[in-house]
Amino acid sequence: MMHEAKSFVVDGLMAEGSEGVRLCASSCGGCGSVYFPRTVSCRNPDCSSTSLEEKLLEGRGILYSYTIQRYQPPNLFRIDNWEPYALGLVDLPEGIRVMGMLSGFDLDNIRIGETVKLISECLFTDPDRGKVMTYKFAPEITGRDAQ
Amino acid sequence: MKPVYVLGVGAHPWGKWPNKPQVALAVEALQAAFMDAGIGWPQVEGMVAASSRFEGGMGWGLHANEVVQTVSEQGIPCINVGGACAAGVIAFHTAWAMIASGQHDAVAVVGAERMPKGFIPRPPGSQDDISDSDYLRWVAMGATNPAYWALEAQRRFHEYGTTPETLALAAVQMRSNAAGNPYARYREPLTVAEVLASPMVSDPLHLLQICPVSDGAAALVLGSERFLAHVDRDPVQVAGCAVGSGQFGDPARRIPTIANNVLPGVAHTSEVVGAVSRALKMAGMGPRDVDILEMADNSAWHLLAWPELFGIVEPGQSDWMLARGRYARDGDLALNPGGGFLSFGEATTAQAVLQLCELTWQLRGEAEGRQVAGAKVGLSAVLGLGANGGSVVLKR
Repeated sequence: MMHEAKSFVVDGLMAEGSEGVRLCASSCGGCGSVYFPRTVSCRNPDCSSTSLEEKLLEGRGILYSYTIQRYQPPNLFRIDNWEPYALGLVDLPEGIRVMGMLSGFDLDNIRIGETVKLISECLFTDPDRGKVMTYKFAPEITGRDAQ
Repeated sequence: MKPVYVLGVGAHPWGKWPNKPQVALAVEALQAAFMDAGIGWPQVEGMVAASSRFEGGMGWGLHANEVVQTVSEQGIPCINVGGACAAGVIAFHTAWAMIASGQHDAVAVVGAERMPKGFIPRPPGSQDDISDSDYLRWVAMGATNPAYWALEAQRRFHEYGTTPETLALAAVQMRSNAAGNPYARYREPLTVAEVLASPMVSDPLHLLQICPVSDGAAALVLGSERFLAHVDRDPVQVAGCAVGSGQFGDPARRIPTIANNVLPGVAHTSEVVGAVSRALKMAGMGPRDVDILEMADNSAWHLLAWPELFGIVEPGQSDWMLARGRYARDGDLALNPGGGFLSFGEATTAQAVLQLCELTWQLRGEAEGRQVAGAKVGLSAVLGLGANGGSVVLKR
């Protein structure tokens, strides 16, 4: 049924498998640099390799910084039920720092250095595309439960 | 290379000018610069313009051609350079090279802008897919430009213990500097309490800590030694001049990307740090020789971070410098003595040209209402989209 349909906000940005959502990245066959989103060439000036492989990133990392969007961004950003939300910057073990929306945080109590995991959430529902999903970073609950 | 001098400078005040087309702002700034230099169109051997994507230039960024076709069709080379917010310094660098190479004796530089209202729209022809970062950052997460600066500011709070009050003080300082500057758009004094009471836009940045957009124009005339005879005042010399682009592994959060590779040992904001370093080296100077820093304060955070990135002070020391008045006009380093982007509002391609006009006025002792006493060395620094950086050292 149409309302059960689901799509990603941009083709090729993320993928969803049996183990959950992943970021679609490229990995250089020469120097091992990882690029997100996928790219056409390694840009490390010390590397001359032309081989890039597709790689999926698990997206578990450390929150490097964050901010809270207090005003609704312009219309290109489509979201149902807008309210202020957090954006985070996350260090992934692959050596890249990725920006994305945060989910599941108390906006007044976000802590730099916290472990986060990748999830996907619906931004808006569209009659043609169904639930349109984007990636977000959420608190790593396991770590908190252990405390 | 031959020595290059700033022969004349001029600007149109910043503001909103709905009744003046972009080319009219450009022509007014150029006329002021020519008058200041004591020369006229017949002596100008070349025109370099910062290309705007917003207005004028026949839609192709041909702003230099548009100016000469408006004012004086005299067969001179018209060079139009892109570089987004750094276009002005790239135009300056081009004109400098035209004279330093010995090809020309007098070349004019202009940047003029009328900015659209509100958020800057994506350019026509952009791809709505994964290849365009500017598309991704909007549709996937709604990341505004202030959000990028806010992420840096929040990290600074974490690393150095910067307080909201100190960050607010940076904006207060800019307004205080602008109070006597007839070219600045926002000249009313501010208090820390007023900054902190302004709406929170993107934590920890309040509205009054983020540069708005304005219309404005600035121009200058560069010349060789041959033209110094025309000028009856102490000449301001271009001691160093460099443009550059970003380094792989730079940790800065670069608009509009959504991810970056972070490598140890790579300078933050490497496009600007690299340009500053090379401009100072060309001048045979170090960062602590600088009396005045004219830098791009797109947010209050930049005012704390950039002097540290350039090695003028130690990392984390800016808070202390600012709080003790050491970044004021009578301090160790005069930081944006004319008020900076926060007091002007950014007129993108004109802004870096204005920085060099301001340094020239300061070095000559002609910066009425905002003069830094006895300044001998001025450094400019600006960042543009596409990882463009540029820097100029002017000396008296």
